[in-house]
Amino acid sequence: MKAFGNYHPATLMIYFISVLLVAMFVSNLVLQLLSLSGAILFSVMLQKRSEILGNIGFYIPLFLLIAITNPLFSHNGVTPLFFLNGNPVTFEAIIYGIAIAVMIVGVMIWFKCYGEIMSSDKFLYLFGKAIPKLSLVLSMAFRFIPLFKRQLQKVNKAQKALGLYSSKSFMDKLRSSSSVFMAMISWSLENSMDTSDSMKARGYGLKGRTTFTLFRLYSDDIVLMTLCVSLMAITFTGIATGLTDFHYYPYISNLNRSPSAIIIYIAFGTISFLPFVIEVKEALAWKYYISKI
Amino acid sequence: MKKRLLFGLVILIILVVIFSGMMLFKDKQYAWISISVAVLACVPFFLQFEKRNNDIKKLVLIAVMVSLSVISRIIFTPLPGFKPVTALVVITAMYFGSEAGFMTGALSAVISNFYFGQGPWTPFQMLIWGLIGFFGGVFAKRLLESKFDLAMYGVLSGIVFSSAMDTWSVLWVDGSFNVSRFLTTVIASSQFMIIYAVSNVIFLLLFSKPIGKFLDRIKTKFQL
Amino acid sequence: MEILHIENLSFRYPKAEKYAIENINLSINSGEFIVVCGESGCGKTTLLKLLKKELAPAGEKSGKVFYNGLSQDELDDKVSAAEIGYVLQNPDSQIVTDKVWHELAFGLENLGIPTETIRRRVGEMASYFGIHDWFRKNTDELSGGQKQLLNLAAIMVMQPKILILDEPTSQLDPIAASDFIATLQKLNRELGLTIILAEHRLEEVFPIADRVILMDKGKVLLCDTPKNIGQNFGKIQDDHPMLLALPSAVRIFNALQIKDECPLTVKEGRNFLDKHFSNFKCADVELDYNYNNEVAVELKNVWFRYEKDLPDILCGTTVKVYKGEFYCILGGNGTGKTTSLNVISGLNKAYRGKVIVDGKPIKEYKSNSLYYKKIAFLPQNPETVFLKDNLKEDFLEILEALDVPKNEREEKIIKVSEKIGITHLLNKHPYDLSGGEQQKCALAKILLLEPTILLLDEPTKGLDAYSKYTLKTILAELKKDGITIIIVTHDVEFAAENADRCALFFDGEILSADTPSRFFSENNFYTTAANRMARHLWSHAVTCEQVINCCKKSGGD
Ligand SMILES: Nc1ncnc2c1ncn2[C@@H]1O[C@H](COP(=O)(O)OP(=O)(O)OP(=O)(O)O)[C@@H](O)[C@H]1O
Ligand SMILES: Nc1ncnc2c1ncn2[C@@H]1O[C@H](COP(=O)(O)OP(=O)(O)OP(=O)(O)O)[C@@H](O)[C@H]1O
Ligand SMILES: [Mg+2]
Ligand SMILES: [Mg+2]
Repeated sequence: MKAFGNYHPATLMIYFISVLLVAMFVSNLVLQLLSLSGAILFSVMLQKRSEILGNIGFYIPLFLLIAITNPLFSHNGVTPLFFLNGNPVTFEAIIYGIAIAVMIVGVMIWFKCYGEIMSSDKFLYLFGKAIPKLSLVLSMAFRFIPLFKRQLQKVNKAQKALGLYSSKSFMDKLRSSSSVFMAMISWSLENSMDTSDSMKARGYGLKGRTTFTLFRLYSDDIVLMTLCVSLMAITFTGIATGLTDFHYYPYISNLNRSPSAIIIYIAFGTISFLPFVIEVKEALAWKYYISKI
Repeated sequence: MKKRLLFGLVILIILVVIFSGMMLFKDKQYAWISISVAVLACVPFFLQFEKRNNDIKKLVLIAVMVSLSVISRIIFTPLPGFKPVTALVVITAMYFGSEAGFMTGALSAVISNFYFGQGPWTPFQMLIWGLIGFFGGVFAKRLLESKFDLAMYGVLSGIVFSSAMDTWSVLWVDGSFNVSRFLTTVIASSQFMIIYAVSNVIFLLLFSKPIGKFLDRIKTKFQL
Repeated sequence: MEILHIENLSFRYPKAEKYAIENINLSINSGEFIVVCGESGCGKTTLLKLLKKELAPAGEKSGKVFYNGLSQDELDDKVSAAEIGYVLQNPDSQIVTDKVWHELAFGLENLGIPTETIRRRVGEMASYFGIHDWFRKNTDELSGGQKQLLNLAAIMVMQPKILILDEPTSQLDPIAASDFIATLQKLNRELGLTIILAEHRLEEVFPIADRVILMDKGKVLLCDTPKNIGQNFGKIQDDHPMLLALPSAVRIFNALQIKDECPLTVKEGRNFLDKHFSNFKCADVELDYNYNNEVAVELKNVWFRYEKDLPDILCGTTVKVYKGEFYCILGGNGTGKTTSLNVISGLNKAYRGKVIVDGKPIKEYKSNSLYYKKIAFLPQNPETVFLKDNLKEDFLEILEALDVPKNEREEKIIKVSEKIGITHLLNKHPYDLSGGEQQKCALAKILLLEPTILLLDEPTKGLDAYSKYTLKTILAELKKDGITIIIVTHDVEFAAENADRCALFFDGEILSADTPSRFFSENNFYTTAANRMARHLWSHAVTCEQVINCCKKSGGD
């Protein structure tokens, strides 16, 4: 077993797309809660302790803001609790606000995990086959960005040593930074022509280009992919057959608690908690392994 | 004939995807449609670009312009909304045409979000920055000739960018176009809209001439 | 067997009056190691680029280049891309992708080679060049030496028949450079690879070449074995600037005019000196150096790191540089030489310790008072100094920023330009200059600040021998005006010839500052070829001139 990020990019992409489809577009409260808790657990495993605190400080106020403001925009619902500025504040709108907050925060955390896991080379690999030329442009850009940034620092320093950044006035500062930025642009354009020479020298543009990659599909990947696809198939069947239908307006519908609905919840719950489980297993395996050495 | 068949098939698949999504995600169907459209609208541009036999130098230049706009977005992080990205995209389009403009815009969105975080907004940013670049190329002649037109284009792109993002978030949250939420969002983000528009105008006026000069120089020195 | 054949090749850049190269006729055999040398601007790069059709610059071309009997137009694109490998001058800008492994595979992808084969070839090449340790790194995290090795390996995976390299070692420290050249020699010997190499630093490549092509103003002046060139070149033209560029052994041989075979390597030079001078001992050189007691720059126990969780680059560095001194810092790539210059010039702030400039702690200099008439810094990349697209405008702008009265500006610019010898370049775009010209113009720009302390970061990089000689005279003149000069360099010969004191940067500290004679004579690797040749006779002779003088004084033969 390996940590989640070590799976094949295709496996990971299928996983994230499936989870995000449900997280973004299905309003069933149970599925939403499962998605949010899966996301939180996964991100806790991925992040350092200090980052986690910072995230709590960001997501909780966001959650409250979304939940509280919803009743102000939406006056649907059949159970008015009180009136504000002559508009009814309904029970349904409050619940819907909470549900929406669960969804938005959940999706945001999932995307954060996605950002941690899907590094640029995995992304490039996935699109390298479908759009080879664009993915090369992307790869070049990933090469250029640090290179240009460094050049900008160098120009900055050189100009500072020429006394350029000495003035305290805002206009002078603006002027000098923009001329430094311009110098960097000019250098970048000029230098990139060498890069195109280097590409031509190595035969870029010949017919029948292939794409090389370090990623390989292992049996672990196929297992995870199959698991993911079959659980997702179950979930989507449930969604398509209306088992998970859920609405907040005009009144909150009853949660479907039939056995078949529960199967759906279990299926999606498994998907949602999968990365967390894999990470924990990996961490434990290491601990066990180290204690044995 | 074969091409037409393939084209028809692709359209069919797209329609099937969109409609089955609509059936599945009943109460979020507008969000689903808008995000699908954003993604799918980029596809023909990308495919066209893949098919064409581009000059390597042009390819490298697009990569350079994308990197520059990503760097500029990073440099200006302390000033929310005040970003030269749009300006750089439009300038690329003015000098290298619609296609380069679209690519620079769309790729800048994807790549800079590697640094700022991907989200459901990525496809919209791609499409809108891409289209800003595309039309920048279409109107290149006017934008090159008239400073006023250039400034107006900057204002317009700021407004379009901001309101498109607002529309998407309302559709996603409410599942339908909730007018009061839309208005509130627009008001809440109006300061951003203004910053976008102002920064676009400032950077376009500030950058278009010097960068144009660099690009012209490159064009003649390296025979593009 | 002939692999390359060049017939009447001439080339002119668009809008240029003169031909960049003219009437070149050459024939190169398979497995040869060819070194191309000549002054800056003589057309080395132009010639090399014309050998590979993908890189041929646009312009007016006549004559033909044949590869394996096929002219360039008949040559298949795939064959040309794979079999003629080219390593460009700048190691940074020729890296295309963001990952080391992808960079290695890039050429093979273009040739349409299947993934499994690519995997094998890349793996083999990575182990051959010792790249496996940083195989998965980002290309941007590599050191200068690693980048250059990657560039070479990325060409070698394509299994070229000819390898063309344009100044591949100009950014490397002496030890890394000789490693790199040893690698090339190995490739030449073991794989029978044909190598064509353009270089300014000839000390090491000259003796190992099969043939040396000496170019002059776009033409081939000589094309012969190194032995013959060493033997005869000095006799044919005794005032040619390229004589300065030849390896130390040859220069000593030329100066002494002894009838014997010309020595090329250190070993041969040693034997040569043994044969003719070992019986005639003259006193050793002992240049004791009297310094001014006033201190210009002092670092007291300085610590510096770039970021909180990065390692220390300077660890308790302590240095004293006296007024009017020429101080030289040597050391390996990436040890922190540039960083220490940045600390001296206040661009990087030490987190512990003191930096004292002209008797005053650096913190007490307000706004730009440190940079006007005090410290000037010529960075490692001279192009970072220019902001405008015309040199003169650039110079005018800096004078304006310094509040120099309008009527004096023009005069100042002319004075400095004449001193440095760049008056003819004032109307050019900074990026249209050659590396050497850029270096000089940047120097001119910082001299406008009228500094009393001059910091130069690798000023001889990419310079030909004659320009180095000019730089030497310029610096000597500045020194005469009482300016303190601190330079960082990889060029041990330049340091030995010019410095009052040299020091080695190692492990975060500046060590063993001493006169060049004593400094170099105690080192085994960080020392000049002249010293390695003559140290058993005169242990303190470190420059060619000193060795020649000793020889002359001892009057052997
Ligand atoms: N793109 C260009 N346009 C016009 N002239 C050029 C161009 N590149 C080089 N030249 C000129 O052609 C001549 C030969 O230049 P080349 O770069 O081949 O010299 P080099 O021997 O490689 O010099 P260095 O040792 O400095 O690299 C020089 O006079 C140079 O100014
Ligand atoms: N801006 C920076 N941020 C982080 N690390 C840096 C930065 N600049 C340099 N370094 C690191 O500091 C170390 C010293 O760099 P420095 O440029 O001073 O070396 P150097 O001795 O001048 O090398 P060279 O001979 O190659 O010029 C290197 O390991 C480098 O990676
Ligand atoms: Mg050259
Ligand atoms: Mg350095």
